[in-house]
Amino acid sequence: MTEIYINGKLYKVSLPEDTPLLWVIREHIGLTGTKFGCGKGICGACTVLLEEEPIRSCITPLKAVKGRRIITIEGIPADHPVKRAWVELNVPQCGYCQPGQIVEAYALLKKNPRASREEIVRTMSSHLCRCGTYPRILRAILRAQGMMGVKT
Amino acid sequence: MIDRRDFIKLTGLSLALVLTEGGFKIIKAVQEEIINPVLWANITRDNHLVLLVNKSEMGQGVWTGLAMLVADELDFPWERVRVRSAPAGPQYIDRKLGMQLTGGSTSVRNMYDFLRQLGATMREMLINYASEEWKVPKEKLKAQGGYVFGNGKKASYGELWEGAVKLPIPHKVKLKDSSEFIYIGKNIPRIDAREKVDGSAIFGIDVRLKDVVYAVVERPPAFGCKLKGFDPSRAKQVEGVIDVFAISTGVAVCGKDFYSAQKGRESLKVEWTESPIKDFNDQKLARYYLNALNRAGAVARHDGNPEDVISKAKVKVESVYLLPYLYHATMEPMSCVADVRKDKCVVYAPIQSQTWALKTVSRITGLDEKDIEIYTTYLGGGFGRKANVEFVREAVEISKKLGRPVKLIYTREDDVKSGWYRPMNATKFVGALDEKGRVVAIHHKIAVPAVFEWAGMFSKIDRAAVEGIENMPYSVPNLHVEFVKIDLPIPVWFWRSVGSSHNAFTLETFIDRLAKAGGRDPVELRLELLSKNPRARRVVEVCAEKSGWGKGSHRGRAMGLAYHFSFGSHVAQCAEVSLDKKTGKIRVRKVVCVIDLGPTVVHPDLVVSQMESAIVMGLSASLKERVSFSEGGPQSLNFDTYPLLTMEETPQIEVHIVKGQGPMGGVGEPGLPPIAPAVANALLWGYGIEVNQLPMTPDYIKTLI
Repeated sequence: MTEIYINGKLYKVSLPEDTPLLWVIREHIGLTGTKFGCGKGICGACTVLLEEEPIRSCITPLKAVKGRRIITIEGIPADHPVKRAWVELNVPQCGYCQPGQIVEAYALLKKNPRASREEIVRTMSSHLCRCGTYPRILRAILRAQGMMGVKT
Repeated sequence: MIDRRDFIKLTGLSLALVLTEGGFKIIKAVQEEIINPVLWANITRDNHLVLLVNKSEMGQGVWTGLAMLVADELDFPWERVRVRSAPAGPQYIDRKLGMQLTGGSTSVRNMYDFLRQLGATMREMLINYASEEWKVPKEKLKAQGGYVFGNGKKASYGELWEGAVKLPIPHKVKLKDSSEFIYIGKNIPRIDAREKVDGSAIFGIDVRLKDVVYAVVERPPAFGCKLKGFDPSRAKQVEGVIDVFAISTGVAVCGKDFYSAQKGRESLKVEWTESPIKDFNDQKLARYYLNALNRAGAVARHDGNPEDVISKAKVKVESVYLLPYLYHATMEPMSCVADVRKDKCVVYAPIQSQTWALKTVSRITGLDEKDIEIYTTYLGGGFGRKANVEFVREAVEISKKLGRPVKLIYTREDDVKSGWYRPMNATKFVGALDEKGRVVAIHHKIAVPAVFEWAGMFSKIDRAAVEGIENMPYSVPNLHVEFVKIDLPIPVWFWRSVGSSHNAFTLETFIDRLAKAGGRDPVELRLELLSKNPRARRVVEVCAEKSGWGKGSHRGRAMGLAYHFSFGSHVAQCAEVSLDKKTGKIRVRKVVCVIDLGPTVVHPDLVVSQMESAIVMGLSASLKERVSFSEGGPQSLNFDTYPLLTMEETPQIEVHIVKGQGPMGGVGEPGLPPIAPAVANALLWGYGIEVNQLPMTPDYIKTLI
């Protein structure tokens, strides 16, 4: 039995400890907002927070998060400025990469609410979006900063 | 976990008053002239409009655009509109395409009249019923904002709908005048945004059935290989592995979850027959395609006497291009859930082509189409790839063999190995100018696989191979267009903008080379060539104006412009580009895009989104993408070797919509073709570089400096 906290809830799973966290979350816990994209930690679709740090859950084995706190897309409040800005600007197209993008943006603003445009672009460039929503993602993060009352 | 009934509830069918679970099965296909609203839409008692849309939402915003048409005519509050995916079935065929398919940038164009008619019919039905119930003449009743009222009475559409559907369906109802539109032409919220932001949107890979078995398929390392044999013994010993067996495309490994199936696969030993193209690598492919240009092909167009004019011309320009295989790289790899039983089959999949899926499933299971239910989930990207239903076939084969519900998941590597690429191609252009620098002849020949033939639609001249060239809007008196078919066992398919994705690059860069050779400004030359096409001229003019074309220095950046007509829309794009000559690295700083899709623009911001999307994808392909080959198989198996454009590399994008007269054009694809040639043209004028190959990687560009 491995214990993990996901979005504040304790889960006990009985799985090989090398099982990637992504599949634990998706198939065994049943939260499918976190996506599978590349399996190599490149595209960012599987991004979740470990404590406050964004990690790639597709290359993170279960044993590495034993007893620790994970936040997924479902665990970010619906009224959080990042999520609100995303909806207001019609950011998602196919939507598949967006949970990972949102988790990354949420973590960035939590750590550094005043992140500059350059920092935002640098951080978000670790995520791939085939629909090309990058211009809107950038605008949404800037807008979220505005909602949070942050002057950049 | 959800079972099938829950899924149907989630997709809204159980909310329907007439359509209950399986109910659509007993309703006969809709008559040509009569709209049967209950097949397409229902209003719940608590006043929600539930639409069954026959087009797949893959990011292009089609559910928003189509729902707007119904809600506008019905006069219904937008926040109470719900869209669900129509199941696969003859009643949901797009009559203009002759099948249930999302492709060719046709959805809004093809469904526009029908869905407005649907909304208007429903509104009329509600008024008719209220009039009968309340004994109030129709003229005294109004239907607005989800309520019918008049003569002191008021009821929601939802309260009236159950009665309204029992009355005869009115024919030929009056549609709104465009001045009365409440949504059409306005930027209202995307209907799928919230679900896609909170993580609840259900994609193919997210469908969860009880007792489902997870499957992966080990595929051949090269194209054209057949299964020779395999040893499942070690794989079967892996904990969680349920079964290992051969299917038509490889060896399926089934497990209790994805990870055990995947681990089982790693312990699997498979032997394949030799690939008929085992000696094909990038160099060999290049030679093969270029050599094919020496073969005689099928002539798609021949005006005047181009050979003669070219042989006598003083100024001749010749270019040979070689463009790569491209991978769709949908962020959601192929994935399908199938449950094959003796007497029925249920499939959930992210597909663009429900009709083809239905036929395929029927063929594999031997079941009648009426015993097959196919539900389309959200698509995590499509770009044409998910119109190919081989992955559905695989899931159905596996479920049939196991006798259990199966979820097939492609890894990224499986996705690349499965093929179905945008075809590689070689093109030769020869052009001739007169003494004034006017284009008097163009001779074109392309060697390319036949995409439509791969899709089962054979023709002597493949429609994709010459699209955008054969029907070019430029007036050239002597013109030759020729197609040499490439036959290799590398599967090719529709990739966003299809033939235009390569033909716009070759034609538009060639036009600039002609301009340069004739000492002409490329915009001015285009306008001359487009003298008979005012809509095309206009987008080129507006693009030149908005980008400041010819207005001197642009912060030291080079500028290039390209124009292309595809899928009914005219698009011009101007790229501001800088090149680091030391590294060969290109930066595209800004793109100005102008589109004319006709007089009606249903949702301007969705058009802007699609232009942004197509520019980013087109730029990604032209700067970075190529499926690399070795020993007859793909080597670029994941994003480390098949990189996509990132936010850092994305230019500022400015989109302008011009409303020309004529039929409505498409939006999903036409924004892609012009970007690659616009960038290459900037390199020609700014740096004297002729780009004959894509992608424009730093290594390649350095060889040209």
